[in-house]
Amino acid sequence: MNLQLIALAVFDGVAYAALVFMVAVGLTLIFGVLRILNVAHGSFYAIGAYVVASVGGAIFAAGWSPWLAFPLMLIAAAVVGIVLGGLIERLLLRRIYDKEEALQILVTFAVFMILEDVQRLVWGVQPYFEATALQSLGNIQVFGVYYTVYQLILLPLVALAVLAGLRLFLRHTLSGRLILAVTEDREAATAIGIDTDKIYLMTFMLGAALAAFGGALASATTSVLPGIGADMIVLSFAVAATAGLGQIEGAALAALLIGLGRSFAVYLMPELEVLIPYLIMLLVLLWRPEGLFGVTQTRKI
Amino acid sequence: MTALLEAKGLEIHFGGVVAASDVNLQIHEGKNLAIIGPNGAGKTTFLNICTGYLKPSAGQVFFNGKGITRKSPREITRLGVARAFQIPQLFGEHTALENLLIAAAARERRWAPFTRLGQIPERAEMMHLLEMVNCVHVADRPVEELPEGQRKLIDIAVALALKPKLLFMDEPTSGVASSEKFAVLDIVAKALTESKVTSVFVEHDMGIVERFADEVAVWNRGEVLHRGMPDDILSHADVVRDVIGEEI
Repeated sequence: MNLQLIALAVFDGVAYAALVFMVAVGLTLIFGVLRILNVAHGSFYAIGAYVVASVGGAIFAAGWSPWLAFPLMLIAAAVVGIVLGGLIERLLLRRIYDKEEALQILVTFAVFMILEDVQRLVWGVQPYFEATALQSLGNIQVFGVYYTVYQLILLPLVALAVLAGLRLFLRHTLSGRLILAVTEDREAATAIGIDTDKIYLMTFMLGAALAAFGGALASATTSVLPGIGADMIVLSFAVAATAGLGQIEGAALAALLIGLGRSFAVYLMPELEVLIPYLIMLLVLLWRPEGLFGVTQTRKI
Repeated sequence: MTALLEAKGLEIHFGGVVAASDVNLQIHEGKNLAIIGPNGAGKTTFLNICTGYLKPSAGQVFFNGKGITRKSPREITRLGVARAFQIPQLFGEHTALENLLIAAAARERRWAPFTRLGQIPERAEMMHLLEMVNCVHVADRPVEELPEGQRKLIDIAVALALKPKLLFMDEPTSGVASSEKFAVLDIVAKALTESKVTSVFVEHDMGIVERFADEVAVWNRGEVLHRGMPDDILSHADVVRDVIGEEI
């Protein structure tokens, strides 16, 4: 493996890790606060991607500036998170917080299946490809390798900004502290009169918007077609579990680990590409069952 | 004298265990009421019903004349009934001051994604509360690092941050070293008087009851057996046998 191939594998891995991180961090945030493993999370990713690819395709065909792709991504993510995420939390999840985990997973899985079909109804089964955002930023040569600025610089920067922004929001702002307080102890939070319903809704909308944002960013780099939601949810589960569920910084590192593992596999042992993320997860969980950064929970009475 | 809180004919049982059987109790403003009784007598169940954590199968609870039996813990908290648990319900990773600020934010229904927690207007008020419970010097330390006595005090300060009229405390001195119990409760009593909060506390330590209660109610098998002044109750033959006897 020469330097160029290594560089290529690293760039692929980092770009992919940035996308997986956006989805996994939303998943882990929702799990940390709501204690629900949201299988429908992959749908937010897919729908974010579809919205941007289809709306983007339409407006660029009408001659609008390609730079509008970037605000479009943000708007699409916010709309999907607030509207779809908000509806699902309000109408469905709110009824099942006290139910057993198996039922919760079944319900979110059902939502996922329904949304898969909704996507086929709305967007059909033909792939969408809308790379205007990717092309508008051009290419860059590093270590003799030509790579897109969008994937090599923008995606990692956006992922880092999301990580830093989430940290700042959760650790330092009033709303973030309320979310952390509910995460740490839901009963104590209720006891002092924190509106946990509102905290849950806001957190779910934020997590859903992050997944949709991941999809929006990914839409410029890949074809949007049925099944991308399923691929992404499985992978982001692997990332979240490797990191330890509820661990935000951990999700970044685990995404990088799994992204790099996957991209090196593509160049070295292509037949293992699909397997590698789970192999990494398995090894990490054998060594640390609570995940890389997970802490064993002591439950209060 | 009108009752601040009144329980009428409360009934609840868990399987074969009767945890409340026709419980009738009035709590008067300004009096500290101690609830004593053997384990499993239904003391904590009574607290759970009054604060909305359990729904009785029959009977009603009124606070300030308003029915609260079917209300959620959060609604009851907002009406002015606070609760301190046997194990302090604090956010361990947050500092003492942050715990209070979170309570103040909850009380004022603040939701500000771009404001720092330390900048909310209630900060001075919360510092004053910390002063009242002698914990200003640990304001900036995570509460999980603090000794149990201080955690209890901060837990009570958090309850007081909600500006309640009535505070239920479940064994306010459990887990506190016996040499410190009086000192801790002295601070609590002073803070309660200063904030004009009526309190109801479950307690096993008769020394504490004698010193801090204005009235005592004796529980056994889900019933209120006796009620009266501490001196009378604690020398009552049944109480000595059923409650105090068991403690030795």
